[in-house]
Amino acid sequence: MRLNTASVTVGFAKKLEDDSARFYEGLAAQNPANSVVLLSLAKENRRCATDIERAYYGVITDAIESCFTFDIDTEKYSFTFDMPVSGGLKQAVAMEERILAFYEEAAEQSRSLMCDVPRAFGLAAKKRAQRIGRLKALAGQ
Amino acid sequence: MQMTGVNQHTAILDEPIKGKPLVRNYINGEWIESKGEIRDVVNPATGEAIAQVPISTKEEVDAAVAAAQEAFPTWRTTTPLARSRCLFRLKGLLEEHFEELSRIQTQEHGKTIDESRGETRRGIENVEVACGIPTLMQGYHSEDIANGMDEWVIRTPLGVFGIIGPFNFPFMIPLWSAPYAVATGNCVIIKPSSEVPLSQMKLAELVDEAGFPPGVWNVVNGGRTVVSTILEHSGISGVTLVGSTPTAKYVYERCGATGKRAIAQGGAKNFMVIMPDCDVRRTVAAMMTSFFGNTGQRCLAGANLLIVGEDDSFYKSFMGMVIAAAKKIIIGYGLDESVQMGPVRDAEKKANIIRYIEKGIHEGANLILDGRNPTVKNSLPLDTFLGPTIFENVTPDMTIAKAEIFGPVMSVMRAKTLDDAIEMCNASPFGNGDAIFTTSGKYAREFQYRIVSGNVGINVGVTAPVAFFPFSGMKDSFFGILHTQGQEAVRFFTESKVIIQRWF
Repeated sequence: MRLNTASVTVGFAKKLEDDSARFYEGLAAQNPANSVVLLSLAKENRRCATDIERAYYGVITDAIESCFTFDIDTEKYSFTFDMPVSGGLKQAVAMEERILAFYEEAAEQSRSLMCDVPRAFGLAAKKRAQRIGRLKALAGQ
Repeated sequence: MQMTGVNQHTAILDEPIKGKPLVRNYINGEWIESKGEIRDVVNPATGEAIAQVPISTKEEVDAAVAAAQEAFPTWRTTTPLARSRCLFRLKGLLEEHFEELSRIQTQEHGKTIDESRGETRRGIENVEVACGIPTLMQGYHSEDIANGMDEWVIRTPLGVFGIIGPFNFPFMIPLWSAPYAVATGNCVIIKPSSEVPLSQMKLAELVDEAGFPPGVWNVVNGGRTVVSTILEHSGISGVTLVGSTPTAKYVYERCGATGKRAIAQGGAKNFMVIMPDCDVRRTVAAMMTSFFGNTGQRCLAGANLLIVGEDDSFYKSFMGMVIAAAKKIIIGYGLDESVQMGPVRDAEKKANIIRYIEKGIHEGANLILDGRNPTVKNSLPLDTFLGPTIFENVTPDMTIAKAEIFGPVMSVMRAKTLDDAIEMCNASPFGNGDAIFTTSGKYAREFQYRIVSGNVGINVGVTAPVAFFPFSGMKDSFFGILHTQGQEAVRFFTESKVIIQRWF
């Protein structure tokens, strides 16, 4: 499936954040030792979704290329997981790598929009890169 | 249970307008049912009647003017700070209802949800700017202009203004004027287009909730009777209008004859000038928005694509990318978030655009992308849908190069040099929003200096000024002196009163 408009791309980012938040909540329930960290990631996901949505609604204008900026193939960034979550932290790392790649592409493609939007995607990507390091450390990789 | 992170949101978003409501007039802080004829408001994408709108009578306009005149003396003595607080409250309510307002615009007009949200944001920006009225309307002062004499200017409101809106930006365009008019202490009567009255009704509800006193903000729905009553009424001090050039010219003339000040914004035929050194990828995306955004129904839409230079390989490669991008545009109901282009407003407008396309073929232009029978997502009725249409080998004398088509039609022309291109642009009777796409500062400077156009774009395809700049226009695109938005709107809605003082 392809993301072609700003609206549908922001909607997809929100869905990724919601789904991965639920993943971390499931994972936290199975990993009491790491539950504080995992639940904080879920909280951060929801904050990230809000930040992206706020950037989009705050600067959208009919005069720029919001309908014609994006061409993102979601298949590259899809992930599936079972509930209850299996695979634990390794699966989390794999999921985060896909989300990171999505945000990098979204940031690159949204450069025609007001700078707030690529900046919001870029910040989300930066946080994801940091998160991958933390998850790898937790997994002992 | 298996979960996935790839479900795309392509379902139709919820429609806020339900149950075919009857639109009422908002006069003196009350919702009043009109005695005029009732017409349907039709969603252009689905063909469904979604509401009913009255065609109000002369007496109803008279009642609105009387209410506004009665409210004016108290409103003008309300402090600018207190007036600005009303606008701050309105701004808060507009943010709260942002998505609802946007979806209403898509339902009534047909534009995509991204475009509607963009329109909502731009409307709100004007309210934000008008919130600064305590400083925006300050005058200026000189001491000792003669021995013991001082002189200063204050800006005083004039009374009641009429604001006549078009169909293509039902929410935003009245907000180019109304916030400044009321912020400066005037009262307003807004006449939305009878085709798209619903977002103005929602706005009036929010105005009411924000606590503007009765009579300050009035809305009278209708058609020609409402417009002519506003134009002829001795109780109205000025009028703002956005419409076609003949209408703008007529309004300007009538305002002159009846002693009103006027801002009358008319039609356009905008040129997008492409230099061979442009950033091709980003220019092509900008062309999609410029020519096909809002389905071409905007006075700042690109109409003529003018490619400069004799390099055929650049021309072929650029046009190849333009055609490929235009072919990919998804057409459908704007409440589907993946749709990139909605319908035109009604079947009559579609028929008019088709007449222009046929004329283009007849006059010898080469139709390389025919939008007359488009593929529309979700099998909607085709009465109002058109696809992107591109003509090559267009010459300046052809009708499609000269007339405002107000639809998704691109006429491609070539010019040997930038000088030739500027000459071709300046030969147009319109001067609304022309743009150049280049990486050369020299070309850009040359273009912006010599082009006779009110809003000039440099690598910007829709040259819409933000709220704190005037929305300009030249030649047959604008009749008046001052413009809507920002400081110029503040000047338009006030008179300069000069005080010269000496004490014995």
